[in-house]
Amino acid sequence: MSTRPLISVVDDDESVRESLPDLLKEFGFDAQAFSSAEEFLASDSVSQTSCLLLDVAMPGMTGPDLQQELKSRRQKIPIVFITAHRDDTVRPRLLAQGAVECLFKPFTETDLLAALNTALRI
Amino acid sequence: MKNELSSVVDALPGLVWTALPDGQVDFVNRQWCEYTGLSLKDSCGDGWQQAIHAEDLPQLLECLKSSSSCDAEVRMRRYDGEFRWFAFRGNPITGASGALVGRCGLSWDIEDRKRREEFLGESEQTLEALQANQELLDLAQKAARAMAFDWYIQQTINTWSPEQEALYGLAPGTFDGTYDSWRQLVHPSDWPGVVESLKHAQQTGIISAEYRVVWPDGSIHWLAANGRMFFDDKGQPFRMVGFTADVTRRKTVEEELRHSEEALDKARSELAHVTRVMSLGALTASIAHEVNQPLSGIITNASTCMRMLDADPPNVDGARETARRTIRDGHRAADVIARLRALFSKKDVSSELVDLNQATREVIALSRRELERNRVILRTQLADNLPRVTGDRVQLQQVILNLLRNGSDAMSAVDDRPRELVFKTEVEEGDRVRLSVCDAGKGFDPQTKDRLFHEFYTTKDGGMGMGLSVSRSIIENHQGRLWATPNDGHGVTFTFSIPRTIETQEVIGMKDQKSIARNG
Repeated sequence: MSTRPLISVVDDDESVRESLPDLLKEFGFDAQAFSSAEEFLASDSVSQTSCLLLDVAMPGMTGPDLQQELKSRRQKIPIVFITAHRDDTVRPRLLAQGAVECLFKPFTETDLLAALNTALRI
Repeated sequence: MKNELSSVVDALPGLVWTALPDGQVDFVNRQWCEYTGLSLKDSCGDGWQQAIHAEDLPQLLECLKSSSSCDAEVRMRRYDGEFRWFAFRGNPITGASGALVGRCGLSWDIEDRKRREEFLGESEQTLEALQANQELLDLAQKAARAMAFDWYIQQTINTWSPEQEALYGLAPGTFDGTYDSWRQLVHPSDWPGVVESLKHAQQTGIISAEYRVVWPDGSIHWLAANGRMFFDDKGQPFRMVGFTADVTRRKTVEEELRHSEEALDKARSELAHVTRVMSLGALTASIAHEVNQPLSGIITNASTCMRMLDADPPNVDGARETARRTIRDGHRAADVIARLRALFSKKDVSSELVDLNQATREVIALSRRELERNRVILRTQLADNLPRVTGDRVQLQQVILNLLRNGSDAMSAVDDRPRELVFKTEVEEGDRVRLSVCDAGKGFDPQTKDRLFHEFYTTKDGGMGMGLSVSRSIIENHQGRLWATPNDGHGVTFTFSIPRTIETQEVIGMKDQKSIARNG
């Protein structure tokens, strides 16, 4: 049983699933990647995840869909959204729904760390 | 005496002949020889028979056997091969004993009489048929809004019924029956078609024509004529019989149908066009997404790589792997740009005459809601009689749309003055046409002026920096220029200028267009 917080990455983009966990591990976190919201929900990681790095637009269940689903399951996992669509109207809506942060791809290491720190303090 | 008699016989206005009891001809007069072209010698014996129409010869021979006087009507061949109707009268010549010693006879031309009889006969037949079916015909005519016509072409015997005249808007009895008068009634644009139909009828015997007629009151009515054409022996048309019907109502419905089909087609193509122009907005968002994904990978991998190298001891294998991924994602971003370039390659460039005023109005109409939402006040100063330019309408509209959006976006933070956007078109010297878009936005730093048109350079928070770069490429493909000038007051004016026409060779030259990406 690792004492390091587990960060779960849910993104349909393969390069994100490939690169982000490595960086998170460099930061000193445990990291896992899932290609869809459905895959994440079906895994054992849901209850162990300390923070979710969640893509907004995905085929099938979207990021906000997963956010609602976790809420209805009373799973209080802090969520940091990551999206390649720079849409200023989306961010306030996601934050209002309880997201910790919404990062626009490409984001810097600093922004990511700041968001994770906020999330893990909750 | 014999000579005198011979002179008299030769002077008679008819063909005179004598024959032996067995029917062998032994004399014909000069008129006979002149008409038939046969000499006396050729005509004697049975020779005369070659001047008689084969179909009529048996009847004539039968007649000549009669012991009393005989009459027949036969076609005789003239020297030039033409057959004409002749009345034949033969009288027996008896000797003092009462025995038959020969025959003499006279033939005279009855062609004209025959023709008249034929006409009369046919007319009577028609008349009878008409009378026999009068009620039915009336009914049919009313139902079909049609009137019968019967036209003897050569004679110009063409009497129209008052109903027929009514089809042409004429008062009863005012049509003089001549071809020229009829021609005057037909709409000049349709006359060639009528002539064509008549030529067709001369080959097939079938009359079928639809044409407009101009009534004396100036109104235009559609008539349809259907019938048969009859020919004389020489193959010349001499009579046309048939019906003329007023088909204005049907034609009007057809015309309306055609118009609505055209309108539908137009609407369809307009819709397709709108979809293509609007897709630039969607395209930009899509490009942003496509480019941001690999950029995100590049930055994340590079960050990881640096951390791995900074570790003690450095994780060289891990760093190498993340560096490899960085390169791969860099190529992925380049591929997105390559696809974007392909979008504007030659195969998508069409060459047509484009009215920039019209193109501008359409783009404004498409963006009306967006402009209202952004509280942009739009003014247009579109030049009258702006010459059209040759180019790709959709691409030019994408440029106009892009300039409109840029102007609108540049004023999004403006609250101390009207958010006014002015579209202006004008003719430039040297056969060029110019379109400018003037905004009252935040403007740009003159030092960054050169970078405005570079891809990925943007002054907008959410911008991707592709619009102006793509726009400039499009304008350059149209042999034009796109530039920006700071306004005296607030904002910027973007202007493009393109030649009103470009040479065919230059259009083809679009294939070798410069790449959208310029190193900046």
